[in-house]
Amino acid sequence: MDSVKRIANVSFYTFLEMVRSKVLYILLFFALFIFALGIGITQMTIGNVQDIISDIGLGTIEIFSTVLSIFLGISLVHKELSLKTLHPLLARPIARPEYILGKFFGMVLLIVVEIFVMCIIFAILLTVFGGFSRFFGYMPAVYTIFLQTCTVISVAVLCSTLTEPAVAAMLTISFYLIGATSYNLVYAITSRTSDFVKNVVTTLRYVLPDFSHFNIKDNLVYGRGLEGLSLGFASVYALLIIVIVLSLAVMFFNNKEIS
Amino acid sequence: MVKPIELKNVRKVFSHPMKVWTKIESVKDLSFSMEQGEIIGFVGHNGAGKTTTIKMIMGFIRPTSGEISVFGKKPGDREVKSKIGFLPERPYFYSELTAMEVLKYFGKLSGLSGRILADKAENVLKKVGLFDDRNRKLASYSKGMLQRIGLAQAIIHDPELVIMDEPMSGLDPIGRKEVKDIIRGLKRDGKSVIFSSHILSDIENLSDRVLIIEHGKLKSFGSLHEIIRPEDVRYTIEFSCDKSMKDAVFALFDGVRIVSDRFVLDCADISDFNSKLAEVVAKGYTVLNAAGSYPSLEEIVFKEIREEENGQR
Repeated sequence: MDSVKRIANVSFYTFLEMVRSKVLYILLFFALFIFALGIGITQMTIGNVQDIISDIGLGTIEIFSTVLSIFLGISLVHKELSLKTLHPLLARPIARPEYILGKFFGMVLLIVVEIFVMCIIFAILLTVFGGFSRFFGYMPAVYTIFLQTCTVISVAVLCSTLTEPAVAAMLTISFYLIGATSYNLVYAITSRTSDFVKNVVTTLRYVLPDFSHFNIKDNLVYGRGLEGLSLGFASVYALLIIVIVLSLAVMFFNNKEIS
Repeated sequence: MVKPIELKNVRKVFSHPMKVWTKIESVKDLSFSMEQGEIIGFVGHNGAGKTTTIKMIMGFIRPTSGEISVFGKKPGDREVKSKIGFLPERPYFYSELTAMEVLKYFGKLSGLSGRILADKAENVLKKVGLFDDRNRKLASYSKGMLQRIGLAQAIIHDPELVIMDEPMSGLDPIGRKEVKDIIRGLKRDGKSVIFSSHILSDIENLSDRVLIIEHGKLKSFGSLHEIIRPEDVRYTIEFSCDKSMKDAVFALFDGVRIVSDRFVLDCADISDFNSKLAEVVAKGYTVLNAAGSYPSLEEIVFKEIREEENGQR
């Protein structure tokens, strides 16, 4: 119970520190800019305006959440190491795994608030274009965006314990890009290659992150329903990635010399 | 009784940041122990191994060999950490948080909560002179103010042992006096304090024992009087006599000099002092002052460094 309290403390103050960060507001400005751009695009595009607004809205939530988790996540631990704010903190009766989990949940809390704010803006946009009735139907997509973002945060935290922000950013972006493209890549490769390569690539598919399990927004926007995608499976899949990645982060951080 | 800190033959070897095959031995076979309720001043020039030693005591880094125990347990133990207050060198805290928020954060992690935490945070802010600035973000704090908030977080949970790396750094004379008063107050309350400083007069004023470390090796450890070697004590005799006897005095004592109409006689050691004093008295000269004077810590440290550089010790 005390352990939960300590993790909650680190999370809360991590959230408080980040929510007051100027970077957050710069990124939020860009998100609003993309929304505005979306409205402009609806005027120039043929098609259902509500579909386009929904597509842009959910896409912006996904991109903004990912960018935010990478930008702020990659320096979560490293910043504390380089500025030495970590030293008085680790001098307290807190275990290093509790600190790592606190940092992770602090960032997750920020993403929850960010997604909530973006959803409000999205709902307003839908209302303006007469499609508010669709809003709650998109909640499963928002949930999977949240799950996907949590996996990105966990990787950012891991990279932040290992290396400096520039390298951590490259590694985390690589993770995101592999996750976002692995399904299509594997499909493209296996459809035109030898059995051996097919087997290797199929095995790799189970090792590499695969964000297709979270990608339900297109199905929902264009009325195709979940089409076999399971929210339960997506939840378990995200949890599995997070547990593995954070375990590695804890393992590395436990052995790290805090100089 | 369990000692707050005990080090036995501690070594710390780092890999060179650019050439991993090159090893740097930062701390060499360091042994010392601390008694409950004492203040130890930790002296050494930059790179001598002070901060590395402190980080090993805190459990941030592990010794390459040797043993460290803090309150009889390994550094980093949760129970041990609850008894320690730590002020790092050049402290920097969360710039977007206020002083009060930072103190509540650290206080909660030390197990404080509710009214007790709020009262302790207010008291400690008053103690370090930051109460009026408690709701300002730390981004607007000066270096000296950050030092004070660092000190405040180190003592908010009423620790038994306070470890401070350069606590007086960046403070003006008033701030330094306040910090010194806080350190003295901690001792009055029975707390143990170990602090490093470049300001030797502060170490001299505050410490029960002084630990001098050079190139990672322990050079001296003890009270100021213990670390002063007999040959470092300067014995002088000041006397006066009739001006007509001036030539006789110069003939009698080698190296005698005149300072403000007084004869001043420097002695090599205590036996030289005793024999010369006896001679001065026997001649009927008026003894104005005869005493041994101890060197300051600054003089001792400089002498240690000079000897180290000349390879004498």
